Amino acid sequence: MTMTDSPPVAETALAAASPRVVGLFDALTTTDHKRIGRLWLRSGVLALLAATIVGVVLTVENSNSSADDLFGGVNNYFQYFSAYRFGLVLLVVAPLFVGLATVVVPMQVGATNIAFPRAAHGAVWLFMIGAGITVVSVVAGGGWGALDGVSSGERDAIALTLVGTALVIVSLLAASICIATTVVSLRTAGMNLLRVPLFAWSMLVATSVWLLTLPIALGNLALIYFDLRGGPGEYGVAEGSSDIYTQLGWLVEQPQVYAFAIPVLGVLGQIAPVVARRRHAQHTAAVILIGLFGLLSVGGWSQPAFQGANYDEKFIFIVFGLFAVLPVLGSIGAATDTIAKRSDDGDGAGISGLLSVYSLGAIGAGLLLLAGTVAGLARVIQPWDLGGRTTTTAVMNLVLYGAVVAAIAGIWFWAPKISGRHLPVMMGRLVLFDLVAGAVLLGAADFVSGFLEAPAFGYQVAGSTAPLMAVPSDQNLIEVMNVVAAVGAVLIVLGVLGVVAALAKAARSDESVEDNPYGGQTLEWTTSSPPSSGNFSEPPERVVSEAPLLDTVSENGEEA
Amino acid sequence: MVATTGLPAPEVTRPRSLLVGTMFACAAALMFFFAVTGIYILERAAARDAGSEWFPEGVIELGPSGFIFWTLILSIFTIQWAVQAINADDRVNAYVALLLTGLFGAAIFNQLWFIINDTGFAMAADNAQFLFFFVNGTFIVFLIAAVVFVAFTFIRAMAGQFGPRRAEAVSSAALFWNTVVFMWSIVYYLIYITK
Repeated sequence: MTMTDSPPVAETALAAASPRVVGLFDALTTTDHKRIGRLWLRSGVLALLAATIVGVVLTVENSNSSADDLFGGVNNYFQYFSAYRFGLVLLVVAPLFVGLATVVVPMQVGATNIAFPRAAHGAVWLFMIGAGITVVSVVAGGGWGALDGVSSGERDAIALTLVGTALVIVSLLAASICIATTVVSLRTAGMNLLRVPLFAWSMLVATSVWLLTLPIALGNLALIYFDLRGGPGEYGVAEGSSDIYTQLGWLVEQPQVYAFAIPVLGVLGQIAPVVARRRHAQHTAAVILIGLFGLLSVGGWSQPAFQGANYDEKFIFIVFGLFAVLPVLGSIGAATDTIAKRSDDGDGAGISGLLSVYSLGAIGAGLLLLAGTVAGLARVIQPWDLGGRTTTTAVMNLVLYGAVVAAIAGIWFWAPKISGRHLPVMMGRLVLFDLVAGAVLLGAADFVSGFLEAPAFGYQVAGSTAPLMAVPSDQNLIEVMNVVAAVGAVLIVLGVLGVVAALAKAARSDESVEDNPYGGQTLEWTTSSPPSSGNFSEPPERVVSEAPLLDTVSENGEEA
Repeated sequence: MVATTGLPAPEVTRPRSLLVGTMFACAAALMFFFAVTGIYILERAAARDAGSEWFPEGVIELGPSGFIFWTLILSIFTIQWAVQAINADDRVNAYVALLLTGLFGAAIFNQLWFIINDTGFAMAADNAQFLFFFVNGTFIVFLIAAVVFVAFTFIRAMAGQFGPRRAEAVSSAALFWNTVVFMWSIVYYLIYITK
């Protein structure tokens, strides 16, 4: 019989032990997906640190209205308020998941490299340039609008912010095409879409949603930019307006914000079977639920340019908000079912797996995402009228910090494949506990404040107790909640500093790491730690299930 | 009966990465385009609801834009001719078809430039004229991208890179080209027919 179903093998030699070239030249010329992914991850962690520090300053400003104005005016506050939100989505969460996927997904699907490695490499550098331009322009007085009038210098800086944001979005789109194409066309023999590992599947869903929605933001950005640079002044930079933020705010609000957290379900679904030391109990259901969550997170239609100011009163917005909880709840249920059926073999390994950093992180991330979608459900209940209040901030923070926690859990889990090292366990537990606790405090405080009519844009003019955009019913309780939020933000910064310290500590470690230290079930665990160039020493065998390594064990008779 | 033992192993099935990647890129490009044209439709509807005139009467003529439309329709045939020729290993026909498609693209660019100058519109004049530039400009960007894609494909074909079993790049260029043709059909209807 002639074998016709051959695995896709790139022209590059399999597992050629390429000479390790390091340094700037390597960073500028590499086409190895692991190195490209590490560049994304470093950028994401750096941006995370910066964004969380801005978050602390914002919450401290909110928490004490009688204190000195930390920002020196409403315009500066607005710039950092919007920079924090867009930064958390575009400069932190998306690059962290793109980085993780760039390293892990090709190995998970049995490919020797990512699709279009030069485009993937170009994307990460474009991202860094775009992110740099964005940050510099915000510091120079730019941002996504201005509330107290626009000087000509600020006008140029705002234009620069638009260019920087557009470059970031283009880079994310390019990276998304590389990741999605890898999953679709570079899968090894026998791996149909139902057998794709859940993290790779979640990245396919997430990048597909990004490819369908981020271009809408890009189109809007281009419109605003050309209007600013010679148009009639209709689209956002009229003197003293927040119109640019208003037009692009849908990126950081439900349902679109959920799109950046789709991989949370993938990380959870990937880690649960490893912790349980058995197959995922509901793999097919998990695949469907992740796809459903992706559908319910498509938010390009919800921008005010298409729906008007009252978009959040429309039927479709309410339906999306109500139903988004279900796939998250279902995915957590499927993971819980898998873990509940874990095999312990009497050696306590099941329990230790449950208490591992990645396990705690994945569970924490899933619960934060669930809390975020529940807050989003409350937000669409019309009689409560929570639109424009801090409830929207709560949804954003819970969902996005859930995504950050999942990405960090993923970094701990796949560290042997990312860097060839283990990350410190105790430090990891502390860091993740800190991050989850901080996110809960931040989200809960904003959620409660929303019911007290606290406005999402919480700036108060120095010396005045009157809020800018609304009249809260209970100012004192809101201030208590703002203090709680500030404590949460500080905890998050400490957690991020812990992540940086853990990564630095691991970088100095020279311990050798096993190829499959946790009993992983998918193809990336058949590679060496760290993986060689080309990933696999020989093409993976034909895959017959979603957990190929368990199939190998079963065939050898070592596992029932 | 022919013995098969000892025959060389079949060629490894090549992944259709470029075609899949182009599909994703086309989807993203279309979403960008739909966002732009969506805003155009809404702004025009709002202006008309307010009783304002959108474009000045008689400034936008149907004829030149119709030439672009029919040229693009013709280019669908030439790009598909290139795909068919490369699949049949008919290299001369493939070169001619790709070259013709690229030339059609250049001609369309020239025609569109004429239309834009002919209207005498200015970007800063009002919202309608600004959006006229913006929608047409968006199309021009994608047209240039498509021409560059076809040009690269032509150069690679001239270098002998494609054949009956490796026609993926030509198919990908055709897919992107046809997407751009679809975009013009929307621009043509929105701006030049219904104005």
